[in-house]
Amino acid sequence: MIPLTGRTTTSHWLHPRTDVWRVASTTGVELSNQAILLAPGAVPPRDAGLYLSPDQNTTGPGPTLHLPAQLLHLQPGDVIMISDDGTRVRVAWKAEAVHNSILLTERCDHYCLMCSQPPKDRDDRYLYERAKRIIDALPDVARALSLTGGEPTIDPNAFLALLHHIATRAPQLSTHVLSNGRRFNDRGFIERYASVPLADLMVGIPLYAAEPGLHDYIVQAPGAFNETVKGILNLGAIGAATEIRIVIQRSNVAELTELTTFIARNLPFVNQVALMGLEMTGLARPNADLVWIDPNDYRQELRESYYILSDAGIHTRIYNHQLCLTDRDLWPATVQSISDWKNDYPEICKPCKVKDRCSGIFTTSGTRLSPNLSPVLSN
Amino acid sequence: MLFNSASSQMTTWQLLPIRFHDLAAGRVVVTNMVGEHLVLPRTEFDEVVAGGTPSTRTLAAMRARHMVRVPDETLPLELLAVKLHTQKRRLAEFTSLHLFVVTLRCEHTCRYCQVSRQAEGRDEFDMTRATAEAALRHVFASPSHQLKIEFQGGESLLNFDLIRWVVQRAEQINRTEQRDLTFVIATNLALVDDAILEFCGQHNIVLSTSLDGPEELHNHNRRRPGQDSWQRAVEGIRRVTDRLGTDYVSALMTTTDKSLEQPEAIIDTYVDLGLTHIFLRPISPYGFALRLRGGGRYDTQRWLEFYRRGLAHVIELNRAGTPMVEVNAAIIAKKMYTNDDPGYVDLTSPAGIGIGGIVYNYDGGVYASDEGRMLAETGDETFRLGTVHDSWRDLIGGHKLLDPLWESFTLTAPGCDQCAFEPWCGADPTFHHATMGNFTGHKTFSAFCARNTGIFTHLVELADADPFVRDLLWKWAHR
Repeated sequence: MIPLTGRTTTSHWLHPRTDVWRVASTTGVELSNQAILLAPGAVPPRDAGLYLSPDQNTTGPGPTLHLPAQLLHLQPGDVIMISDDGTRVRVAWKAEAVHNSILLTERCDHYCLMCSQPPKDRDDRYLYERAKRIIDALPDVARALSLTGGEPTIDPNAFLALLHHIATRAPQLSTHVLSNGRRFNDRGFIERYASVPLADLMVGIPLYAAEPGLHDYIVQAPGAFNETVKGILNLGAIGAATEIRIVIQRSNVAELTELTTFIARNLPFVNQVALMGLEMTGLARPNADLVWIDPNDYRQELRESYYILSDAGIHTRIYNHQLCLTDRDLWPATVQSISDWKNDYPEICKPCKVKDRCSGIFTTSGTRLSPNLSPVLSN
Repeated sequence: MLFNSASSQMTTWQLLPIRFHDLAAGRVVVTNMVGEHLVLPRTEFDEVVAGGTPSTRTLAAMRARHMVRVPDETLPLELLAVKLHTQKRRLAEFTSLHLFVVTLRCEHTCRYCQVSRQAEGRDEFDMTRATAEAALRHVFASPSHQLKIEFQGGESLLNFDLIRWVVQRAEQINRTEQRDLTFVIATNLALVDDAILEFCGQHNIVLSTSLDGPEELHNHNRRRPGQDSWQRAVEGIRRVTDRLGTDYVSALMTTTDKSLEQPEAIIDTYVDLGLTHIFLRPISPYGFALRLRGGGRYDTQRWLEFYRRGLAHVIELNRAGTPMVEVNAAIIAKKMYTNDDPGYVDLTSPAGIGIGGIVYNYDGGVYASDEGRMLAETGDETFRLGTVHDSWRDLIGGHKLLDPLWESFTLTAPGCDQCAFEPWCGADPTFHHATMGNFTGHKTFSAFCARNTGIFTHLVELADADPFVRDLLWKWAHR
């Protein structure tokens, strides 16, 4: 697990020219948004807008942030966001991480029982603008980007403007949008989405049940299923890359094969289906009695659902499931999907032989772990 | 703050178009208009239809299969429309299968032979290049992107010179047409040699052969001088497999009276040869076979018994780890579980005659189907559409084809229109004309209907009772 926030102190502080900075070495190419990482013995360039110091004593020739110990992992190519007064730093991008995501809004028209990022209904349009600045600060080696929320399409104009911005500034990015899909039911929107000139753009859409009432219950939004499925159909019609994400939980586990059968029959054109374990954070905590289920208790349903999809020729992946709770024949389909900063292994995993291939667990799910976790002792 | 689980909200529902068929043990199979199905207790189904108090799970399952909807919701209709459109999209393509009867000559005298075979050495029963050239114009007149040319006989290899010429000429034409063009030679393999195999390898020609089962049965059915038909077929299959690979050969069996006692032995013969597909076929009621000279005297129920035994054996092979596909069940499974059209001309509606496959006879006659050609050999020219020298428009657009197509269309044919299995079944105007004298047929007395209904019912009940069979059919459906 990597800490992504920290408190900082300052030297020579001035109101910063931007809130988003790319971390660069002392020999880094000069850009106006580059923060120079000070290193012992190296002479920093003089006119950078921001300097990052690994300790309290070293100070750059201009505004300097003194990093706390937990942020010493920062490396050239990372992107950080700073507060105006220089007291707080948040890491927006880790160059070496497989998963990097940008939060576009906290607003959402769903209120999912197990939402890991509970929506807040407040004006946060500045987030779309800040996302553009993060894109501008990305290193050339950046490859994969996730856009998350809230519901990223809640402000359709700002969302599409951001996609066009990415297409202009970082067209090499593989961009994944996590959306509830309802906006794609809008004909005008889908046409504008279709015209975004991004070569590698995919939208991942959660679908929780084949029966509309159950899906609507899980997302706490009547009528959601119909709009989401129509959105997926529209994406199929324009040939857009689409993924369906199924979060397995107490209320839909008995209907899981119904859902995968429905997908195979009605939405067989999707590029991928992800079968996902719960992340017990956000709303999932107060709703634990409604949503929590031990993955060990649904091995059979997971297995059947996986084969329904994969036998139907649909690319299927299993996310957030620990190998010790997953049947061995499904292991090739499991993905080490938990973000680096959320991923950890508890004490019991120490002797496990397949730990390096395992998702591990959400450190955010500290309150709820399967009692059936056990080290796998043979490869 | 939470609103409740909504399955229980569904207090009112509307029936979408559904049909049903009673099964054993008080169960019923319900199908929607595109052939998705659900098996449930009849009493539970009656609750749904009568607006009573079915379980929430029943309603959820039926709603997910577009059998019921909440009043005024439109998504189920949109999804049904998309699926129906997908299932029927092949219609816009028109004819993809083009059969060339390159000769009537044959060195076999099979008991069930459906064509009036001629002795070897009489070349007036061979197709000429002029006829083939005219037929090729029709092949490419079809708008279908996929074009399959299948050569048959008689024994097609007796006129291999013409096959070679047609393949090369078709490829030449295709350089500008750019279709997805494939070739099949139907042959007993008795005459196959290295030169032929080399040509097949160069042009990706698949060989389709006859294998009725064990040696004794096969040689009893398929007579030739020396009584070595089985040995030659088996040797031929090995030669093709060794030289070109297993993808280059497939085998078909013909069922006779003698076959009915030994489905397991027939299937085991296929396993022993390394074949992975078997098509347990009914005997055709046409041509010479209609006269029941060899073995055709068995009724549908006996054949169904044979089929059920054979399928059970195939299932047990798979359960034990030997992969084997029963093609009949696989075709039907595709219709049960997907929106793909398996492209099987004998089980489709509108019928596959003419618009799915078409036959160019050695003498230039054009027939709507191979069965139609066999009827003509016995004097009934109902399905003779014309000759290769007529225009494509006249052949496809004339009443000789359109009448049997619309009169047999299952969505309007009495007996089919209300049948639960209509989405999986097909129209067979040739069969009903041959056995009943009209294209529609009276389904109560139709052997075609009895056979298919028997297969459908059996497959549904097997899948309902045994998850292994359900999963196997699902796999076959998505092959």
